[in-house]
Amino acid sequence: MAQIAIGIDLGTSNSCVSVSRRGRVDVLPNAFGESTTASVVNIAADGSITVGNAAKANIIHDPKHTIYSAKRLIGRYFFSEEVKKARAICAYEIVEGENQSVRIRVRDEVFSLPEISAMVLREMKSIAEARLGQPVSKAVVTVPANFNDNQRQATKDAARIAGLEVLRILNEPTAAALAYGFGRGLHQRVAVYDLGGGTFDISILEIGDDVFEVLATSGDTFLGGDDFDDRVIDLLADHFLAEHKINLRNDRFALEKLKVAAEDAKKALSLEPSVEIRIPDVLTTPGGETLSLEYALSEREFASLVADLMQRTFKVCDEALQQAGMVSRDLDGVILVGGPTRLGVVRRGVRDYFQMEPRTDVDPDEVVAMGAAIHAASLLDQGSEAFLLDVTPLSLQIGVAGGLTEPVIERNTPVPIEQTRTFTTFNDFQQSVSIRVYQGESREASENELLGQFEFGGFRAGRRGEVEIDVTFEINTDGIVNVTARDRSTGEAASTRITLSSGLSESEISSIINRGVADRVTTDNIPAASAPAQPARDELVALQKPAQRPAQKPAQKPPSRPPAPRPAAPEPEIDPNLITAVEFDGDGSGSNAASEAELELGDAAAGGDELELADIEGLGEELSVDRESESLFEEPGVVDLADDEVS
Amino acid sequence: MADTLAPTEIRALARLLGELDYYQLLHLPRDAGSAEVKRAYHATTRVFHPDANRSLEPELQDAVRRIAMRISEAYSVLRDPRRRRAYDTRLTGQGGMRIQLSEASAEAGRQDASERNGRTPQGRRFFKMAQSDLARKQFAAAARNLQTALTFEPDNAFFKEQLALARSRIA
Repeated sequence: MAQIAIGIDLGTSNSCVSVSRRGRVDVLPNAFGESTTASVVNIAADGSITVGNAAKANIIHDPKHTIYSAKRLIGRYFFSEEVKKARAICAYEIVEGENQSVRIRVRDEVFSLPEISAMVLREMKSIAEARLGQPVSKAVVTVPANFNDNQRQATKDAARIAGLEVLRILNEPTAAALAYGFGRGLHQRVAVYDLGGGTFDISILEIGDDVFEVLATSGDTFLGGDDFDDRVIDLLADHFLAEHKINLRNDRFALEKLKVAAEDAKKALSLEPSVEIRIPDVLTTPGGETLSLEYALSEREFASLVADLMQRTFKVCDEALQQAGMVSRDLDGVILVGGPTRLGVVRRGVRDYFQMEPRTDVDPDEVVAMGAAIHAASLLDQGSEAFLLDVTPLSLQIGVAGGLTEPVIERNTPVPIEQTRTFTTFNDFQQSVSIRVYQGESREASENELLGQFEFGGFRAGRRGEVEIDVTFEINTDGIVNVTARDRSTGEAASTRITLSSGLSESEISSIINRGVADRVTTDNIPAASAPAQPARDELVALQKPAQRPAQKPAQKPPSRPPAPRPAAPEPEIDPNLITAVEFDGDGSGSNAASEAELELGDAAAGGDELELADIEGLGEELSVDRESESLFEEPGVVDLADDEVS
Repeated sequence: MADTLAPTEIRALARLLGELDYYQLLHLPRDAGSAEVKRAYHATTRVFHPDANRSLEPELQDAVRRIAMRISEAYSVLRDPRRRRAYDTRLTGQGGMRIQLSEASAEAGRQDASERNGRTPQGRRFFKMAQSDLARKQFAAAARNLQTALTFEPDNAFFKEQLALARSRIA
């Protein structure tokens, strides 16, 4: 039997699996004929695991053992804001694991996030195997473009635990663009506006025949359709509070009902101008009185509730366009991805922002999985039929003294890429050099995501400054970061130890696989009759021949949780003795001051005065005057700055 | 469809990597325009992208990966006029075939700064005078001084920008 590879869109709320064979792309529906499956896991008392809509029904009936929105937690540190929020809201138990990782406790068992996601992936794998009538072991799995290395690595681990060889971790908007443009001989610049259940991404791509080049990507991993639901929940809770002087937020049971009602109302509003929300028995008072909640919500009111959320997405769009060096006029099309983009308020907003009608000929729930399937097939076939030239979404930075960071690889740099920085020892006969690696756009280390602390040892002993170590930072086509080091003079590779990463170690992954956690997922039998080939479906044809699909199909989403601010990275113990950047200042903003200081630094290889470095960082900031926006007429003095005031 | 690469070709190129400048790597003339740079990036990536070479043995895949990473680096520098300028300066000065991206950005920033102040003593002098004119809102005088500054530094983009601004205020 021919080798086959599938594409899986592992979503916050729903997941979708697709396959591309002989030029045809099929979305593979689950046993219930649904093209998407809820990313919800229920673990029963007997240890058996259910995934999908059946599990989702348990959010209300068996909340402690039903895990949803795991994607919001995967690859995050326990102390992050997102995790704090989830702990306050989720009925399932979130506990701290080793290295500040997040674990989920269900009865006597403790699961890592990759294990939970592995259960969902195993379900998607089973669905594909049942539909295809053959085993499947290879997949392309998608992630939000703005996912950092920790999140990508954790997702990759999840796939391995599920028994899948990951051909590629692919960015969701890139996958969508591939599904949109594959085989159509397009020459277009497009924006992919991807509003999912829990994340928002925007990518600007240039499509030229079979080359899909990402020009820029930007995103917000704390903004999604769930946040839209939360606005409705707040509205309903406030309304009830005003009427009955009872805060429904304090009652988990009532809150779950509000969530369901809010989500339903939101979906209904993509079809109707207004909706009557009724929860007949939202709460029973201590006196035994059953209270109900009623509210008439208009589309207009809903739009005003979420107006600021829409604005947040457009700010991210501004950033991506600016990074791509474009304005919306330069675009040939806007592709919508994600269930929430079915909402009228989103479609109108996107149309007004980009000044063009967004494309509606691709199904926003399925397009990502389809793109992943296309890429999976082309990776298997060797003769690549499409080239995806993607970028790294976040700047890779190293920690320097003073709690600051210095960029090594800026965001929107094409991958694969490697960059080398040279470090030297600060003390005589120093045994090791330690480097902290971050991802993010801030100068402040604490505002970026810590990927890990790397310790390099085993190089020859020497006086301070004598030993120079080339540290190479590599980002591969999965967007995953690798760091290696070698002694410059001997060329000998140094040994590496990574600490402080919340991810799973190789041995942990092996032991999880041996325990067979994913094997406990019980999948509903798909009737054999419907097994192998599916009848051609509208959206499958849409690839070749963009077709008319009804735009409004209510999105399915699990209950929602409020938005969370960006989590702060940990402030690990700093040992400034260990790290000295010598080769160059790497300050993107540039200035005379920086250059002089840099020369000093470069010359005195051993020197590496951290304070000086820190100062440069600060100055660089000040000096990075945006030339476009600067007007000599308003600030005649500004040009003197680099010359006179800095030294 | 990707061109197939002979193992000897891959090995040879991987060995040569340190001796090729970005233009040679992408098969570009030094004066290539931005559209040409993009075309060359697409063409070379098509050949060396890891996706197009998955069937190679590990040692060759590693070589291809290193070439692909260098191509990304070359593109990242040459597509960005500021970084490219910094790189060209380095090439002329025999400073090496590679430039680290953050280094290129920093260098570009320095070049900008020196451009902003003038690169020649006379250019700087007249630019300073233009600045005081501007501060006094004497736009015609500023334009004259900027024009003079430009005779010393005919390709100073910043001076040109300021001149255009001053002229627009005269009217």
